[in-house]
Amino acid sequence: MSGHVTDLLALAAAGALDPAEAARVEAHLRDCAACAGEAAQWRHLAEGLGRMPSPRPSRALVARTVAAVEERLAEHAERAWNRAALGFLVAFAWTLAVVAWLLVDLVRGELALRLGSSMAPTAAWYAAYVIAGWLTAGAAAVLLGRRSHEEGRTV
Amino acid sequence: MDPDRDDAARLRRGDTSGLTGLMGRHQDRLFRYLLRLAGDEAVAEDVFQQTWLQVAERISRYDGARPFGPWLFAVARNLALDHLRRRRSESLEEVDEPAAPAGIESDPLAHAIARERTGRVAAALFALAPLDREVLALRFEEDLALPQLAQTLGVPVPTAKARLYRALARLRERMLAAAPAEGWR
Repeated sequence: MSGHVTDLLALAAAGALDPAEAARVEAHLRDCAACAGEAAQWRHLAEGLGRMPSPRPSRALVARTVAAVEERLAEHAERAWNRAALGFLVAFAWTLAVVAWLLVDLVRGELALRLGSSMAPTAAWYAAYVIAGWLTAGAAAVLLGRRSHEEGRTV
Repeated sequence: MDPDRDDAARLRRGDTSGLTGLMGRHQDRLFRYLLRLAGDEAVAEDVFQQTWLQVAERISRYDGARPFGPWLFAVARNLALDHLRRRRSESLEEVDEPAAPAGIESDPLAHAIARERTGRVAAALFALAPLDREVLALRFEEDLALPQLAQTLGVPVPTAKARLYRALARLRERMLAAAPAEGWR
């Protein structure tokens, strides 16, 4: 029926009308008993929705949740420490390899001068030593990672 | 001084006292919202725990300049909807058959007793689809104004308004269907 605001009454009870709509509803309800009656029913329903029982989480649930979060944070902290430790070891190993090569190169030059012989093969032996060291470390890291994974931890 | 921002900063540093502070202020509202959205206490408890786990893991993404509550509810909502979509074959916006209130077996007598105990409105609310329950809970229990309601739902204001209207209309239909002689008051 023209003029009636039945489509707006539910939203009016929910306080969800814009000012123009609210003014239109208010003006209409002053003159329309039918819409005023329905508006009262919607308000009653809205009040019922606002008085619903408010369940709270149990203490056990809260305690369980805190414990789970603490465990997760501890796992993250361990992973972060492991990543930092691994990064430090890699940087240290490279630094050591470079410094060691410089020292070997220095010693090789001095010895060659004193002994009058060629030390060229030393470079190849040193390279082989460094590569073997890296391969060994890599294998150890893989084995350690597999073991940690089987134990249910991640590195 | 914003206690939420301070506790979030503590949590970001790995200090769990920040978590207990945030939970203390938001756990009741969050649980009530999840119970309304999920319609099942076991699901609500599961999502409640998952929500705080995700908050702890993603706390670095929280913008301390904004209120913590809406961010928390957004995390919870996404988890709850994912959970419900995995469990339900039908749409989250529609329900074909009225569901029993949470924890009640599909027993007509138990349903009637529960209806009397919890009230007609509560019983009709339980029978609605999850997204209908959600919008009604956010408007009438969390008392969110329309703009905040739209922001929480992640939709424009007119869409939120339409969802609110449809949810109220469906609630009225449920109440009439449950007790036609009593009307919907």
